[in-house]
Amino acid sequence: MIKSQFKSPLFPYLLLLPQLSIVVIFFYWPAAEAIRSSFYLEDPFGFSSTFVGLDNFRDMVSRSDYVATAEFTIIFSVIVTLFSLAIALLLAVTADRVLRGASTYKTLLMWVYAIAPPVAALIGIMMFDTLVGPIARFFQALGWNYQLGTNRFDTAFAMIVISIWKQVPVNFIFFLSGLQGIPKSVQEAAAIDCASSTRRFWTITFPLLAPTGFFLLIINITYSLFDTFGIIDVVLKGEPGNNPVTLVYKVFLDGFRGNDLGGSSAQSVILMILVLILTVFQFRLIERRVHYN
Amino acid sequence: MSIRNIVIGAMASAMSVAMAVPAMAQTEITWWHAMGGQLGETVNQLAEKFNASQSDYKITPIYKGSYEETMTAGIAAFRAGEQPNVIQIFDAGAATIIGAKGAVVPAQQLMSENGVPFDINDYISGVRYFYADKEGEMIGMPFNSSTPIMYYNEDALKKAGVTPPKTWEEFQSVTAPKLKEAGYVPLTQSHLPWIFTENFYSRHNLEFASLDNGYDSGTPVMMMNEDPIKGHFAAVKEWLDNGMFAWYGTGWADNQKPFNEGQAAMWLGSSGSFGGVKAAANFSFNATYLPYWESLTKEPYQTFIGGAALFAMSGKPADENKAVAEFFRFLTSPEIQYFWHKETGYVPITTAAYELAKKEGYYKETPQAEVGIRQLTERAGDWTRGYRLGFYVQIRDVMNREYGKILSGEKGVDEAFTTIEVESNKLLERFSKSMGN
Amino acid sequence: MSSSDLQAPTGTTITAAGAAAVSKKPFAWRQIVDHVVLIAGSLFMLIPVLMAFMTSSHSDITVHTNGLQMTFGGHLAENYHEAMLVPGGFTKTVDGMRMLMNSFILGIGFSVGKIIISMLAAYAIVYFQFRFATLAFWAIFTTLLLPLEVRILPSYEIVQGMGLVNTYTGLIVPLIASATGTFFFRQFFKSVPNELIEAARIDGAGPVKFFIDILVPLSKTMIAAIFIIMFVFGWNQYLWPTIMTTDESFFTLVRGIKQILNVFIGSQIPEYGQAMALAIVAMVPPVLVVVIFQSWFVKGLVESDK
Repeated sequence: MIKSQFKSPLFPYLLLLPQLSIVVIFFYWPAAEAIRSSFYLEDPFGFSSTFVGLDNFRDMVSRSDYVATAEFTIIFSVIVTLFSLAIALLLAVTADRVLRGASTYKTLLMWVYAIAPPVAALIGIMMFDTLVGPIARFFQALGWNYQLGTNRFDTAFAMIVISIWKQVPVNFIFFLSGLQGIPKSVQEAAAIDCASSTRRFWTITFPLLAPTGFFLLIINITYSLFDTFGIIDVVLKGEPGNNPVTLVYKVFLDGFRGNDLGGSSAQSVILMILVLILTVFQFRLIERRVHYN
Repeated sequence: MSIRNIVIGAMASAMSVAMAVPAMAQTEITWWHAMGGQLGETVNQLAEKFNASQSDYKITPIYKGSYEETMTAGIAAFRAGEQPNVIQIFDAGAATIIGAKGAVVPAQQLMSENGVPFDINDYISGVRYFYADKEGEMIGMPFNSSTPIMYYNEDALKKAGVTPPKTWEEFQSVTAPKLKEAGYVPLTQSHLPWIFTENFYSRHNLEFASLDNGYDSGTPVMMMNEDPIKGHFAAVKEWLDNGMFAWYGTGWADNQKPFNEGQAAMWLGSSGSFGGVKAAANFSFNATYLPYWESLTKEPYQTFIGGAALFAMSGKPADENKAVAEFFRFLTSPEIQYFWHKETGYVPITTAAYELAKKEGYYKETPQAEVGIRQLTERAGDWTRGYRLGFYVQIRDVMNREYGKILSGEKGVDEAFTTIEVESNKLLERFSKSMGN
Repeated sequence: MSSSDLQAPTGTTITAAGAAAVSKKPFAWRQIVDHVVLIAGSLFMLIPVLMAFMTSSHSDITVHTNGLQMTFGGHLAENYHEAMLVPGGFTKTVDGMRMLMNSFILGIGFSVGKIIISMLAAYAIVYFQFRFATLAFWAIFTTLLLPLEVRILPSYEIVQGMGLVNTYTGLIVPLIASATGTFFFRQFFKSVPNELIEAARIDGAGPVKFFIDILVPLSKTMIAAIFIIMFVFGWNQYLWPTIMTTDESFFTLVRGIKQILNVFIGSQIPEYGQAMALAIVAMVPPVLVVVIFQSWFVKGLVESDK
């Protein structure tokens, strides 16, 4: 649709000025600075700064802890994404089907969206606390000597469960909206054709939800990569020790805790490239999604 | 943006002129520190005492978060030209701030330039050179200094019929088995890099890193893949497996808690932890020196200090530097050092203050408070004055990670120490390059 | 997709009823299984928070010896009084009320600032013909690509250099830099019928009058929806406040979690009751907003993320 438009020589620039100045000062400048300093080796106080080309990247990639962090990030993202999508899909399909209490269930299943990740993690570390946590006590009663913070696997387990808990509501909201967007006529036709509701789900509902699912896949990967920062920070209680961290957390650790500007910036740039790839992928999917609709 | 700064600057200076007039041009200085809670209150008391002691200068302490947060904030402020006059930097950050030539005015130089008498021999030997450069000039003024010592539950040891062990040999053959039999966790500790690594090296006078533990210019390499330290950790792992030692992760308090609650009979912590243990423990406890391996040294050496120092940041006007020098004079006076020692449990940094504490009979009432300082004044060796290693925060993180892997059985001792050596040396090389070497 | 599909909760019941009408033989066991699944899901979401709340009503000793609690204890008033009105944290100068106020300042300041700035920008992009329109569009929308986390260190240095650390400006304005709101309003403005602007033109209304008299009233629902999303988003910020505020009087509740945690780790018997009380206080306002304005919220969320 072509919009009728105003013509004015200065007014539009005036309207754009606040947004553009904020974007330039707080987005482009720091982003450019991050890219620039990833090619430099600089002492924290800024006395000496040497151009080192790709050395920072080479150093990073050759460090075993960076590789281990990247591996953990992948495992973490895959598990969090899959489980939070699967649980949310199950709940959304069920919530879409029930007659009684549908709106109550909907509220009960979405409100956790409003809880900040670090607050969720604070509650989480209490639930998983080796000493007082009911979940830890439950595992210990089963014979699993669960030790949050001491055992690498146990800490990762807590991080993953908290991250899934926090993400299910978003996925639930989108899946439910997607389900409610499926026209009634399609559902009626499906009901006539397929007697089994399981079959109906896989042959009709699931394919129609696929675009929403693909879109959510990207949202969830982004969430696992970036928004879980607060969860990880709280679970670690300030000392990484032998616990796993994600790539974003490592940017923070090396930059803010270790004052390695070049190394931290190089990691930022690697993440930027990762996000760009995800975004291109996302745009492709949105195009396809438009076709579906 | 720059206009904004100018306007704010103009307003600020106008205000300070207006406010300074009645106070007869008092020089104001700021002090960023990392002392939270009770310690923060004592820091505020120090500032009040200084401000009340004279009328020419006024110091304002500002709490900036953890050690790491304070250092990061100070660095960013320095780059923006808004640095405080005084900043507290912790042991692991010493190389970063001292290595950056021009970031700070050496404490010794600052004091002598401003007519404050300074003699490095006034300072306790274990404290003297930790924040000094390779020529022995003191750069940072040691502020809160502590050293690792061993606390023990007297009731528990009595019940088990043992005395606190002087050596690790005694610990593993006599003390620990008996304590275990008596139903206790024999030992915990709160900081593997500080207590079981850095101070392991100084207690046995072992070379920690090349180039004089990193004090000399150049790129040092760490002596981490060596038999003594590997032997120590192999023993620690064995103790852990045999129930003679317990480990509750990297957190400080998580490891102190079992001692406070009477489950662990002995705990290696900081000499500055004395007050905290006293407040929490409902049993009689005492403290003694950090044990050593008799197989490595017949007699032990002094330990390193931990904690932090105060640095005078450069780029400040002469009158403010003068004020900082006067504050350092005040801070190092025996009375103030004694006050700080008593209030916090950190050791006094000068011999005069130590003598004052003795004269006042402080150690007769609380002999535990003297353990740290006596340990710091034990005999010195070639490798006991300290270490100067860059990116040391990350190096400690590497140690913590690998030690965690040893203790949880993920890795063997040899493999873990090889990793520590390789990664630490890479970090040191990076740091050296970043300093323009 | 038209917005009418998404109206909740009425939309839910209608569709659910429709779905049920088409299933020929609704087996009772099938419905029971559905309810069991939904109840289990609801409990999964509810129990941790309920437990945190119950624990916040017990004394620290009880929690320390008996673990987290599932029943109501007698120390509720005491714990919340301590958490909200007694200065705590490291410097012992800031109480929970101050942090609550800061959270509101951040949440409201962020959402209002973002709505104003992004509406203006979207208005310019959709309704004006000007030379660098495409450039401006891309300059703004590229910001959607890179989250704050990947440019955190230089952002901090720049804001520090401007002297904005420990100010509300430094806390709020840099967060507005992403284009989510602008994107949202652009989509909405594009869906506004062309006839409106034609009619306004015939009436002789200029761009300012058109914006204020026609476009803003028309966008009311959209503004409400985006306000809710952005308020929750701003309230829940963690990383930026963590590095931007070192002065406790600027701490938000979510930023304060770290301090709560420090007290929690540092003390001999951790102050479980107070920690949980602050966690509850930190989640109540955004949760209430989301639950009360649920239909707007869902609409805003689903539309804005497209």
